[in-house]
Amino acid sequence: MNRADPGSFRDPASHVVLGDTTVTRILDERGLADWRALQQTEFFRRATADGRLIETSEVEAPEGAAGALEHPRLRFITYPYEWTFSMLRDAAVLQLDLMLEALAEGMILKDATPYNVQFVGGRPQFIDIGSFEQYRKGEPWIGYRQFCRQYLHPLLMEAWCGVPFQPWLRGDPEGPTSAQMWRLLPARRKASPAAILHIGLQARAEARLAGREVRRSLAEAGFTADLIRANVEKLRALVESLEWETAGGAWSTYHGCDHVARDRNLKTEFLIEALEEVSPATVLDLGANDGHFSQVAVSRGADAIAVDGDEVVLDRLYRSLTPGVSMTPVLTDLQNPSPSQGWAGVERPSLFERARPDLVIAYGLIHHLIYTASIPPANVVEWLAGFGVPVVVEFVAPEDPMVAQLTANKRPEELHADRDREAFERLVRRHFEVVREADLPGGTRRLYHLAR
Amino acid sequence: MIFAYLDPGSGSLILQAVLGGVAGLGVAAKAMRSRWRSRKAEESAPEQTSEQADPVPAEDAQEG
Repeated sequence: MNRADPGSFRDPASHVVLGDTTVTRILDERGLADWRALQQTEFFRRATADGRLIETSEVEAPEGAAGALEHPRLRFITYPYEWTFSMLRDAAVLQLDLMLEALAEGMILKDATPYNVQFVGGRPQFIDIGSFEQYRKGEPWIGYRQFCRQYLHPLLMEAWCGVPFQPWLRGDPEGPTSAQMWRLLPARRKASPAAILHIGLQARAEARLAGREVRRSLAEAGFTADLIRANVEKLRALVESLEWETAGGAWSTYHGCDHVARDRNLKTEFLIEALEEVSPATVLDLGANDGHFSQVAVSRGADAIAVDGDEVVLDRLYRSLTPGVSMTPVLTDLQNPSPSQGWAGVERPSLFERARPDLVIAYGLIHHLIYTASIPPANVVEWLAGFGVPVVVEFVAPEDPMVAQLTANKRPEELHADRDREAFERLVRRHFEVVREADLPGGTRRLYHLAR
Repeated sequence: MIFAYLDPGSGSLILQAVLGGVAGLGVAAKAMRSRWRSRKAEESAPEQTSEQADPVPAEDAQEG
């Protein structure tokens, strides 16, 4: 069944229709002319071959359209507010590289939004072929402000201010304005030439010239593509130089915990049995941490969606991915996963509308939801059942040393009932059939393979 | 006039000439001069109203 992509409507020259396994991009006359020009370039062939651009083929145009392109449909889409620092930085570098390569062959990218990039095989891939257009003499880079708001400012927010950008981008997908960013910068950063030029001066120019015609004035004054190129080259050097200095997240030493090393082999074997029985195409690994169990799923032929709420561990996982690996890290707090939002509330579907797994892994997770996030056990089990697929879950009893840590500052009456194993099994049987179960060595943890 | 579906921001456009380096400074100065001249011409026109004055949002004008 084909349907219009709810997130593709802003560009009148090109929009997208979703099929089951393909995506069709519908072009108007202008979009078709730009595609024809793009098709002739060397960089298009090069970037498609090395996977930086999505595969594209021209197909017969539907009635009323000038042209149509077909792309493979990606199984899973993520949004910038679910990316780690390194993911956004790599996407920014890709965006700027494609700009430079396009300019060298008389083309340009008309916008500069990270929504045009997806992570495929652990690497960023540019998916919006309709963004390429023929460069018109004298024109400035229309996407520069968007690049600053959606790439540069979020990266600087994290690298220079030590503030995560994801909550901002989730709250305001347009990203911080230059005036807002200027106010956020620490004094010593305000003195840097990059901050003065891209942020301070831009904020002032925006305020002074809002709504004024300048495109024609620039063209008449002799603006050239060389000026864009010089700017993009400097932006690229700036973006590449950005490092995220972090003291380490709460979970960055998790794999060093005693129970993790002790239980890992048994949990792996238990998971492998489930993978062999279910043969999932997509596995959703909730609380993925270092990605070990996602990797196990990938090695058994599945695509893995590795969800974690700790940016330090997830960024480390992203940077460790072998190119081509079918694993997508997703940064989200499971207490508050990405909602459906954007225009009409449907432009950007919620995380769990996009992630459609065939198997869910919930290892080392539910006790954190129950004890740290204070979600009642019944709600946690019901939530897992809501995925409608088999679940491999680790139950952690109230006597577990980790639970003792999590509840160190809670009185017993502040905890929910139904925390013990008997209660958990009763709750589970309301929704699932237990396929297999196994105790872990410490005596306080038990694994369950549950089927709906 | 070439159509852009994205609002590029007038200030961000002019700034790009400056960001292009030494060669761009001349372009920026020239573009600003021609903008200034056309603004003068607008101001000398009899039907000028206060609404056409340069809108500087108070909030954004403080910083930079």
